[in-house]
Amino acid sequence: MTLLQIAEPGSAPEINTERRIGVGIDLGTTNSLIAHFDGADLNVLAGDTGQASLPSVVYYGASQTLVGADAERYASAEPGNTIASAKRMLGRSREEFEDDPYIQLAAGEGLAFATDAGAKTPVEVSAAILAALKGRAEPLLSGPIVGAVITVPAYFDDAQRQATRQAAELAGIKVLRLLNEPTAAAVAYGLDEQAEESSVLAVYDLGGGTFDISLLRMRAGLFEVLATGGDSALGGDDFDRALAAHLLDELSIGEPTVVQRRVALRLARDAKERLSESAMVNLDVKGLDAATSEITVSRSTLETLLSPYIERTLTACRKTLADANVDIVDRVVLVGGSTRTPAVRQAVADCFDLEPLCNLDPDQVVAMGAARQADILVGNRRGDEALLLDVIPLSLGLETYGGLVERIVNRNSTIPVARAQEFTTARDGQTGLVVHVVQGERERVEDCRSLARFELTGIPPMVAGAARIEVTFQVDADGILAVSAVEQQTGARSEIVVKPAFGLGEAQITDMLKAGYEHASEDMLARQLGEARVEAEALLDGLLAAMTADGDLLSAEETAALQSDMKNLETVMAVNQPDDIREATEILGKASEVFAARRMDRSIQKALQGVSLSELESNVAEESTP
Amino acid sequence: MNASAGATARDYFSLFQLEPGFALDKTALERAYHALLAQFHPDRYAGKPEVEQRVAAQLCADINSGYRILSDEVCRAEYLLQQAGVDLVAAERAGVESTFLMTQISLREQLEELDQSDSAGRQSLTEEIEGHYALSRNQFAHTFAADACLDAARHWQEMCYLSKLLSEPKLRVR
Repeated sequence: MTLLQIAEPGSAPEINTERRIGVGIDLGTTNSLIAHFDGADLNVLAGDTGQASLPSVVYYGASQTLVGADAERYASAEPGNTIASAKRMLGRSREEFEDDPYIQLAAGEGLAFATDAGAKTPVEVSAAILAALKGRAEPLLSGPIVGAVITVPAYFDDAQRQATRQAAELAGIKVLRLLNEPTAAAVAYGLDEQAEESSVLAVYDLGGGTFDISLLRMRAGLFEVLATGGDSALGGDDFDRALAAHLLDELSIGEPTVVQRRVALRLARDAKERLSESAMVNLDVKGLDAATSEITVSRSTLETLLSPYIERTLTACRKTLADANVDIVDRVVLVGGSTRTPAVRQAVADCFDLEPLCNLDPDQVVAMGAARQADILVGNRRGDEALLLDVIPLSLGLETYGGLVERIVNRNSTIPVARAQEFTTARDGQTGLVVHVVQGERERVEDCRSLARFELTGIPPMVAGAARIEVTFQVDADGILAVSAVEQQTGARSEIVVKPAFGLGEAQITDMLKAGYEHASEDMLARQLGEARVEAEALLDGLLAAMTADGDLLSAEETAALQSDMKNLETVMAVNQPDDIREATEILGKASEVFAARRMDRSIQKALQGVSLSELESNVAEESTP
Repeated sequence: MNASAGATARDYFSLFQLEPGFALDKTALERAYHALLAQFHPDRYAGKPEVEQRVAAQLCADINSGYRILSDEVCRAEYLLQQAGVDLVAAERAGVESTFLMTQISLREQLEELDQSDSAGRQSLTEEIEGHYALSRNQFAHTFAADACLDAARHWQEMCYLSKLLSEPKLRVR
């Protein structure tokens, strides 16, 4: 039991004034933002020019790399070196983009852009954006950034989440949590703090490249994602492209050059934004066609062009409502710049029969929510925060005999989640099997997304159906999957952490980190040493406190063994070798796992005693009310 | 590969401190679920030593599984049978009684003949299936309480079939 501290009369209690800094990052398709919550205010951290949002554009020239508005300037002159909307390609395969006229792919198997600075993967482009955000934030903050909450579309699959994590790692940012964008938006509105009985919230998020619809339920202290749906390839970029195609059509440009496409896109984006304010705009199109000077576009033309896309979002909304078995929505929050378009707002209001909430800037609301959550996760807790319970967006399963999918973890399961299922062999004498992990809702393997494939060998030869192989799926709180397979009789074991098939390998990331992405000036060893020591000290301190409090859970031998491992770690810490410290920390960590589990079992009792107590209290309160 | 149901390690009733059995206090389950998550969710362990994060995440996965299984009647019935040591594969092979087979066929036919636009017909078929489900559920509760596990396993199969039928897209049109 923790003892309460009592200060000596007259002396001020010691207050820890140091506030650890966590930031929220909205890594968007079109624009990215970084925000910080200082305990009182949510601040979106702007760049030198005062612009809050950083265009998610990176320019890779022969002699320099630029990010944001500086990079955008090269979009027309050097379209091939100027990479925009890389988020659409995170965790995707080359095949999905080979026919895209807007992208110049580098030769080779992976998905990478051909630039004058060499082949650049979507992960590297995203890392450059993240590093730029970190760079603009650091001078504005009072201390080092401990970590970041990075938002992802709720619809992002496992590979896309992994790729996002890799990008952060590459940019030297510790990821505290990947948070679904709609959840972040609701947090920004403080809706998790409102003491309403129980209400359902819909978050309609139409950004540049993705559409998400999420249904959340709020109850005292709990914030639960009921269901998510949407389309990871639908957004404001489609609006721009539709209008750009319309402009090129009007000018009878049948086969536009890459530059013409870019110009048309920029004109379209500009026209779309201006049409939110006025009913009619004139566009200067001399850059597209020297013979024509102006084209007029009306709001109703735009709305006709957009309506199939808007309708697709509403279909997804209805499907998600049906999935969650929800009839009544109490609130709708609008997120994403594309919700500024009046036709979108009207369609949403009609669909839910509600006036949507939009008083926070729809472009900033996600970063703001992420910043609030980051502040909690770095340890600046008040103790009364709502808990965000997330779900996985797509079902996870295995290929079974005949190319069918056996679902192991269903879509919309609350995470973290672990599910085990037993399988057996199909042939007599079979000694190995391939575990093929897929994601999706369809019944046939070819209709789902293949995430990973690994082999389990060493199964003793038996008749078909006699072997018992337990396959376990574990999804962590970020929605990232690990799969293991164990043959029950021999204990033969094989496992894999699912990595994006077309992202970067672990070794590649290490190489890039070594090459010093943004640590060129930093002393790498000193940094690693510092990090290793912090982790080691946290473990030692935690264990000491735990042994004082719950030492009775250990036998004398167990205590002695732990103490010896602790002693060893302390000795190693005195030497300046980060690898040795990490190894000793890991050994001690493994050794103390059983102890940690026993302590948690004990605190289960305490947690539930608290419940019955508060229940008792509320009953008493009710009875005493006249 | 062929699938079969896996085994579970933790006793979920004791995890949530509930009286084991088919009858369940849903409010107590919800309250315990939330109290446990509020304490053990990975977000509460950010910044703690890695070993604690790992153990908490595993415990949280158990809490989530337990809640999913206990809060759903069909899953709860299956879990109880498993805990009682009933061989569910053998039970499934043994199948259901022939009278229930006839019910199955008749309900399936009615569903196939149902017109998408006939909302009254959908309503009445839904109610009929729900009636059968309630019957099977009560029989499960009764036989399981009386330790007649093989009978209970048969009624559990009926519950599985009927609840699956109720979730047919054709009946769930909004």
